[in-house]
Amino acid sequence: MIAGALDYRLPETVREATEQLAVEPRDTCVIGGGTWVVPWLASGERTAGRVVDLRRVAELRAIRATDDGVLFGATVTYSDLVRGDTSAGPLRLLALMARGVTGGVQIRNQGTLGGSFVAARPSSDAPTALVALDARAVVRGPGGERRLAAVELLAGAMRSALAPAELLTGFELPLQQDGGIGYVKLKRGASSWPLVTAATRLELDSSGRLEAVRLVVGGATATPLVIDVSTVLGSQGDVAVLAEVERRTSAAVVEPYADVLADGSYRAAVAPVVARRAVAMALADARRDRSGERR
Amino acid sequence: MVSDGLLGAAVRKQNGDRFLTGRIEYTGDLRMAGMAHMAVVRSTHAHARIVAIDTERARALPGVIALLTGEEALGLAEPIPHNLDPAGLGGQHAEIRCLAVDRVVYAGEPVAAVVAETAGEALAAARAVTVAYEPLPAVLNAQDALAPDAALLYPGWATNEMIAGETADGDFEQAALDADHVIDGELRIQRTSAAPMEPRTYLAAWDERAQRLSWFGTTQNPHPMRWVLAVALRLSESQVHVVAPPLGGAFGLKMHGHPEELLVAILSRMTGRPVRWAESRAECLLAAGREQRHRYRAAFDADGRIRGIEDELVADHGAAAAGPGWGMAFVASLAVGTGYDVQCCRVTYRVVVTNRAPWSGVRGFGKESANLLMETIVERVAETTGLDPVEVRRRNLVTADRFPYRTATGLDLDSGDYHSLLDKVLSKVGYTDARERQAVQRAAGRHVGIGIAFELTPEGADIPGALVGGYDTTTVKIAPTGHVTVLTGVTSPGNGNETAIAQLVAGRLGVPLELLDVVQGDSSLCPYGYGNLSSRSMITGGGSALLAADELGQKLRTVAARMLEATGPDAVVLRDGFAILVADEGHAIPIGAVAHAAHTLAFILALGIDPAMEATCTYRPPNIRHLPDEHGRISPFASFSNAVHAAIVEVDPETGVTVLRRHVVGHDCGTVVNPAFVDGQVYGSVCAGIGLALTEELLHDADGVLRTDGFKSYLLPRATDLPQIELLHQCTPSPFTALGMKGAGESGLGGAQAAIFNAINDALRHRGARIDALPASPARVFAALAQADQAVAA
Amino acid sequence: MTPGTATCQLQLEINGGRRTADVDPRMLLVEALRESFDVIGPKIGCGTGDCGACTIALNGEVVKACLTLAVAAQDAAIVTIEGLASDGQLSSLQEAFWDHNGFQCGYCLSGMLFAAQDLLDHDLHPDDGAIRDAISGNLCRCTGYEPIVNAISAAAQAARSRIDKSRGSNEGAA
Repeated sequence: MIAGALDYRLPETVREATEQLAVEPRDTCVIGGGTWVVPWLASGERTAGRVVDLRRVAELRAIRATDDGVLFGATVTYSDLVRGDTSAGPLRLLALMARGVTGGVQIRNQGTLGGSFVAARPSSDAPTALVALDARAVVRGPGGERRLAAVELLAGAMRSALAPAELLTGFELPLQQDGGIGYVKLKRGASSWPLVTAATRLELDSSGRLEAVRLVVGGATATPLVIDVSTVLGSQGDVAVLAEVERRTSAAVVEPYADVLADGSYRAAVAPVVARRAVAMALADARRDRSGERR
Repeated sequence: MVSDGLLGAAVRKQNGDRFLTGRIEYTGDLRMAGMAHMAVVRSTHAHARIVAIDTERARALPGVIALLTGEEALGLAEPIPHNLDPAGLGGQHAEIRCLAVDRVVYAGEPVAAVVAETAGEALAAARAVTVAYEPLPAVLNAQDALAPDAALLYPGWATNEMIAGETADGDFEQAALDADHVIDGELRIQRTSAAPMEPRTYLAAWDERAQRLSWFGTTQNPHPMRWVLAVALRLSESQVHVVAPPLGGAFGLKMHGHPEELLVAILSRMTGRPVRWAESRAECLLAAGREQRHRYRAAFDADGRIRGIEDELVADHGAAAAGPGWGMAFVASLAVGTGYDVQCCRVTYRVVVTNRAPWSGVRGFGKESANLLMETIVERVAETTGLDPVEVRRRNLVTADRFPYRTATGLDLDSGDYHSLLDKVLSKVGYTDARERQAVQRAAGRHVGIGIAFELTPEGADIPGALVGGYDTTTVKIAPTGHVTVLTGVTSPGNGNETAIAQLVAGRLGVPLELLDVVQGDSSLCPYGYGNLSSRSMITGGGSALLAADELGQKLRTVAARMLEATGPDAVVLRDGFAILVADEGHAIPIGAVAHAAHTLAFILALGIDPAMEATCTYRPPNIRHLPDEHGRISPFASFSNAVHAAIVEVDPETGVTVLRRHVVGHDCGTVVNPAFVDGQVYGSVCAGIGLALTEELLHDADGVLRTDGFKSYLLPRATDLPQIELLHQCTPSPFTALGMKGAGESGLGGAQAAIFNAINDALRHRGARIDALPASPARVFAALAQADQAVAA
Repeated sequence: MTPGTATCQLQLEINGGRRTADVDPRMLLVEALRESFDVIGPKIGCGTGDCGACTIALNGEVVKACLTLAVAAQDAAIVTIEGLASDGQLSSLQEAFWDHNGFQCGYCLSGMLFAAQDLLDHDLHPDDGAIRDAISGNLCRCTGYEPIVNAISAAAQAARSRIDKSRGSNEGAA
């Protein structure tokens, strides 16, 4: 039970949602699936006089092709991702990430991409994966619509950069070559939320050299870290590549995140390992031809 | 002639269909007309003076009916009677009230209570109560609490030591001199919580006209609970009716002594309304246990034979309480030595109060810690002598020909064949092959570890001076329709003991299970009993049920013999619903008809016997010994189950993460009434031990406030954390108890924890690393490896 | 629902029957089911979506009812443990749980049954790992999960046998 007074709104369109949000933006909580927000309200960790629940806004749950990519609505659930068409690159990574979300099939049915992102918890899977896929966040506010790199929407641990009265409506993922993807997370048991996550996407050229690579590490710092691994481009030898990935990740984790599950020094120590394993996974994935056999 | 047709049968749980269709009513499912809801205002400080409690804003909120502070409660109730008063064993007594008065001694301590029309309104009102505190210096660990200048929790006490004791037999110093080796070490066990799925819930209804209290709640012990309420509320026990609805798990948490048990009753009396309180998960996780540090020494020879053990146990209890939590340190000290033939043993225990939430009972009740200690020592003996850890166990475990065996701490072990069980487990896990494989895996850089643990579980305790009884009582009745009712003094935390008791009675009376009901948990209906704890229900509840069934059965057979014109009761057997003439099985009468006849023709068919178609009997295990022996030791347990565990783990050296690859457990609890239920208990206990070894820990911030207040931070094992648990059985019946039954329910926990701990240390051994504290979190294992690497580099 | 009113009239289809009750809009769905609709099968074990004791089927999907506000479920079709048996006949999954001692205290049972049924609705050949994964959102403190896994495996087996049998009889008929 939520203790304070509550004005509950169930809009059916994005326009209604933004109008509802604009009434008392600083005293309004937006619910996607509710998996974070509802317990926060019930425990009093957050208080809000108004709740805008997006579950009836059909357009926010859509996954659709755009001119240059795919648009995921903010209330697309993990189960939507798991069930979705996994033939194309971005969806494969998202589906892989979604299958492993902590909390069972129920959470996969209820939790949303947008909700997870805006909650901005370092331990969450979705932000790491979306940032690795070069997602652009689409935000609707009183001033209109804007797009920004998803990572810019994360201001800090548990803090999104949404302005009051702004609504995250979805993510645009650019069309990408279907190279190799990797997603690895480190937990301390099934009940634990991830301590460190790493998502990566890479492409090999016809001679097997690294042509493109994007590596993001989450959980080790307050917001997901895009690791600069440009030094491995053009490389071919896995051992050297993976060693460099570890080095670059280690150097990037300067202010490690700490919480009740793990302190900063541990996260800093294992982040390079998790990053390396994600890249190793992606390399193996890239070499697998479309019929599933290794080249 | 008696029959035990259902003994050993894996009968399905009684009323299973009601569970499966959501028709079982737990305490939180009960509704009463006019029921109001209580919420508790809790201290946000670990140690502070209460300067003022402002309830004005709260009173003005909608739905609020009443508010109560500690000062106001003083006149309304006596202090909460202790479950186990440490003063009874020479320790310090603390007066425990249901709400803090003057000062708080832990963050989370109840300071005030609110009653409102709905749970939401009560919660809102509780949040609106403002308490002004003047913080006091807090002691947040045992070491600080014992420092000479430490702030005292209880000014009437000279120190922060609640109780200390010693069990000693033999001269350890001499043993150390004589031995080839003496090692010392420290073992730190973390603070953990029972965490049943059902949080505590209480519902009290005071009837002003009748001057009677009806109390429904999550309690393991309804009769003692009735005593608590009567004493605290200055009522006679006959004015108090306690009902324990089906429990959603207990694991020691629901033993009496909690302040809220009394609070709901006080508030019901104050408001004239039934009052319900359901704790939140965060409140439930305040209940702590197990945090202790052992400093041990072991003296042993090159052949691995242990000559003596010395142990100092310091338990960080948290604040004092009316519950039995501290007793776990006492029990741990009694259980040191476990099943090993070590006659020289000196164990001292100290229970220290600190400014954190108090210990409540937890599963294992101290025995799991003693098992961990012994299994740690055995492994270190193996390491030092170069012997295989299995061999060290073989050379030190009490052999089968030595029973009954009195341990150095005075416990009379009843029966067992530890060596045989060890062999069975080793065979099942394929120990030799596993070691060979391990060598290969190690060469390939993998950190695979194999851990063995022996586990002794003393059960069925009777603690002198406390309402923790080693005996119990059952009434068995048969109605004129032939329906049998069993009223038992034991209760079930959900493990199926009511079904097992039904099996026993049905077997002895020859009636089908469908015609039999077991009634538990009602202080007015059931004979005085001690509920469930210490895995006692089958020994005492089953034992007394058998006696009562036999007594009633004798009467039924006497009446039936007269109806069948047989020579006497021994000429008749009760089976399959019929009273059957032994000499000519064609002559039989339905048992229901016999019961009806006994009720209606008492002056013809029941002459010379007690005509009442019921029997009430008590079973008292003969082997509990409270009279101290020549060394001043007592043996307060009725049975000693045991287990052997073999765990295979793999540690990821780059992250410290441990994966449990295999877990084999061999279990011996004597005669088993229902193997499915015993198996279930063992699986659950092993799983809990896995949690203790790997993931569970209660953590506080620097101000002593609980951080692990939910299941995202207090990490319980889930199905994917476990491999299939491979379980095998052995049966060495108790020579003392009815049917040779021993307790089941706690075996598994300590042994699994120890086996995994040993396996992890085995996995790290070749790196020169080890851990001496639990849980074996990835960070702890990682740090141990890093430290070992640095040592090598240096 | 009119904003700002003290209570909200919530209409639900629960276990096949249309029900209406006034609920406090601040209630969680699991609370509303238990307190306002007298449907006590789903339990509250944590309130934070971790233990799974509140799991129900909502519009065909298994969800944790403590993570949903009651008012968010307006007009939803809900199935709880009370609705799993049909005409007093336990489902084969329920029987399997009973046969294999898949519950002790029973507090997690409701949630486990829904997680299990969801698995079997999608996969009748689950291996040990798939079964454990399916119930990974549900905590049990009593059983150590082993009997639950056995029960679900047996239920899958039973379902496969029924299908084979009915295939066999169809072929025979054809």
